[in-house]
Amino acid sequence: MATFIEQVQEMGLKQATIAKADEVVERITAGMNINDIRAALRGDEPRRPNPRLRPHADGFWLHIRPSFYHTEVTHIYPTFRLGWLSTWLFVWETITGIFLMIFYTPSPVAAYQDIWNILGNVPLGQLMRNLHRFGAEVMVLVVALHMLRTFITGSYKKPRQFTWATGMILLVLTLMLSFSGYLLPWDQLGYWALTVFLSATEAHPGPEFIGRNVGLLLAGAPQVGAGGLLRWYLLHVLVMPLLLAIFFFVHYYKVVLHGHSLPPGREEIGEDTAKRVPKEERTYFIPDILTSELMWTALATLILVAVPLFGLYNAPLESHANPLVTPLHVVAPWYLAWSQGWLKLADKTFIAFVLIPGLLVAFTVMPYIEVGKSRRYIDRRLGLSVSMAFIVIMLISNWMGSPEYLVASSPDQEVFQEILPQEGHSVLKEVPYSELRPGVYLPGQALPDRYHLTHALHELEGAIFTHGCFMEGKGKPNPLHLPACRPVIQDDGSIKYRTYYTRDAMPNPEFQLIIRQFQANMMELIITAKVEDPNRPGEFLINSQTVGYRHQDSNYEED
Amino acid sequence: MQVKIVIGTVAFMMTMMLFGYAALREPARLERFAAADLGRNIEKGAELYVNNCATCHGAAGDALDCFNAAGEPIACIGLPLKDEYLLCGEPSNRLIDQDYKFTVRDYIYGTIYAGRIGTQMPTWSAELGGPMEGYEIENVTQFVLNWRPELCTTEGPPPYEWPLTVTELLAAEGVTTPGDATRGAELYDRTYACTSCHGNPAQAGSARVGPWLGDLAARGGSIVDGYAAADYLYESVLAPNAHIAAECPTGPCGMPSGMPGNFGTRIRDPQSMIDLMTFILGNNLETTGVEIEYTRR
Repeated sequence: MATFIEQVQEMGLKQATIAKADEVVERITAGMNINDIRAALRGDEPRRPNPRLRPHADGFWLHIRPSFYHTEVTHIYPTFRLGWLSTWLFVWETITGIFLMIFYTPSPVAAYQDIWNILGNVPLGQLMRNLHRFGAEVMVLVVALHMLRTFITGSYKKPRQFTWATGMILLVLTLMLSFSGYLLPWDQLGYWALTVFLSATEAHPGPEFIGRNVGLLLAGAPQVGAGGLLRWYLLHVLVMPLLLAIFFFVHYYKVVLHGHSLPPGREEIGEDTAKRVPKEERTYFIPDILTSELMWTALATLILVAVPLFGLYNAPLESHANPLVTPLHVVAPWYLAWSQGWLKLADKTFIAFVLIPGLLVAFTVMPYIEVGKSRRYIDRRLGLSVSMAFIVIMLISNWMGSPEYLVASSPDQEVFQEILPQEGHSVLKEVPYSELRPGVYLPGQALPDRYHLTHALHELEGAIFTHGCFMEGKGKPNPLHLPACRPVIQDDGSIKYRTYYTRDAMPNPEFQLIIRQFQANMMELIITAKVEDPNRPGEFLINSQTVGYRHQDSNYEED
Repeated sequence: MQVKIVIGTVAFMMTMMLFGYAALREPARLERFAAADLGRNIEKGAELYVNNCATCHGAAGDALDCFNAAGEPIACIGLPLKDEYLLCGEPSNRLIDQDYKFTVRDYIYGTIYAGRIGTQMPTWSAELGGPMEGYEIENVTQFVLNWRPELCTTEGPPPYEWPLTVTELLAAEGVTTPGDATRGAELYDRTYACTSCHGNPAQAGSARVGPWLGDLAARGGSIVDGYAAADYLYESVLAPNAHIAAECPTGPCGMPSGMPGNFGTRIRDPQSMIDLMTFILGNNLETTGVEIEYTRR
């Protein structure tokens, strides 16, 4: 081939440059020159031989992608683009994660302050942290929906059992990736979530030294500390993403090998025609699938950015991890809350070492032992019904994981927790500082021009309503319109009061919010609770208070 | 397909515009979050202070109202922290008197971190066996520093202008001499917590850092030439560095004195000074009329 200088001598500079550019583009795309790309974008028919197949044959990036799909699987149904979206979310998490890594040190001495540094000192730092955390939760959701879709359309059946099995591994890895990032801010939320998670090792049914040593391996010490943080950091940024990438390629290789399964009604029962695509049913990767994927990527990214940016999602950050202070109501992240719900019902050992592993194994081997050949919905009424029931059970289990279900704490503490908790969102702390003026306030009190404080007092009234009750005949008014008390004598002879909402209600509770100036720019917020014993006047069943502080710059409004 | 290209391109451009929008509001947001970081540290510091420090330094930081676990009032054995002498100015007067070369923040952090040898102030740092982690000490430090806005900008009542001789002090307007020894004992023990260093004057050997003052009436006249016991005591309260006592139970007795130099502003009226002196020296406040070495701030 002629050198560039010879070409210039032959064709002149302009033509030679165009020819050279064409050649460079063809090399980069592994087979398509500028005209081919323009033709593809215009939607023209390809020339012969089809240059749009060459990037698949000669290029690295597209060699794993099929050069054409069955047109039937390119619509929203049956895939809903969930597999592609999971892949993109993994890439997205890597990008945002690397940004965060630059500003993060995995050490208990530095980690928490590093997060505050990301929030208050790194341009776009808060956005990146929100994008990463939101992306992680969306990824869990998308992967779970992907699995659900695969089950519903029966795509896990022969010959795709192994694809399904690797998908199970990817699901567990996604959950663990999300959860392993939980600890990294080194705040109370992550610290206690992980501590509770690791306490499962104590319930190990085997010899004691196994549980102890696995616990030591995962926590780095008898208690989660510097070693544990470093381990979970390395799991999060290295081990899990690497494993996920490996299993992703196995998973996707199998997808390509067997072809995307067609909608269940499209083929004969027991047949798999995904790989036999007639000419007229082909949709080529270049340009149709590629542009479609890019469009969905752009749309998904837009949503992933817009939701946190406009404050619809905010990554939580509680106070510094403290091994000595366990916050009331340690809650697992929502995607693991079902397990917490189960733990309230049954033995820890059974749940952690029999039920959950059993379920995972059952799901994984299900396609290998299943006998029904048909993928059609009409033939799978039982399976689909069971799966729907399973989803409902999981949703209920998730609710059972919340503190609302079967967590016994005293009713006054529950009211405090709803209004002024030690950790997490506090409706009272979110009141703008300008509305906090020293004084004594009552639940449900309306204050002109102080909308947010009025709202907080209204919430306090609501919390008292669900945890309090009214005893008649004591000459007391019932300003909050509490439900009537139903006394129930306990086994130990004491009396508890029930209402429709709770089994442990406070009779005629008296709550106050006291706001005191503590420093020139800081208020002390005190909620006091007094409950007189209806049977022994002058004695108090409950006489407690909770205290919080609110600095004028603390900016809880933006939490 | 063309529609998809348009939708994808528009979505991509909108995403880029969102990043641009985010970047525009970033400077103000960063400021808010940096302030929030400090604000929340101060809140945590307040919690820690109320639970750990208020027993000795008082809930309001003025070393006046201290309570034990049962809620009964007790002597505040700590120094006041809401104190211009400690907090105002960089370096503040306390740092100058202590010849401390770093910042007020470092001074407070270091004191909490390591404690004060010879006083009741314990070591708080977990690194030295105490209960607090570094971030918690920082929280408390920021909380103490947060008294600055109300302390260092607003003008309180001006401190009393102490006369330079005991003769003038005893002749000051509205004072009764000799003073009230019972009130003096209260001031000595509780208000100014002299007890925590000088011990109980009625009990020999109870002094911890400074000299025992139980025998000061007897020996006070022979410490500095030309000074009677009252002159020496009056000067020592106002200007601890003027003459350093030769005998201190835990040593070393060198410059600067371990005694805070801010009693000139903490003691707000001459009657309190006389009551205190009466408690230590008894009713006989003899003076040679010598002028003490004291510079008013």
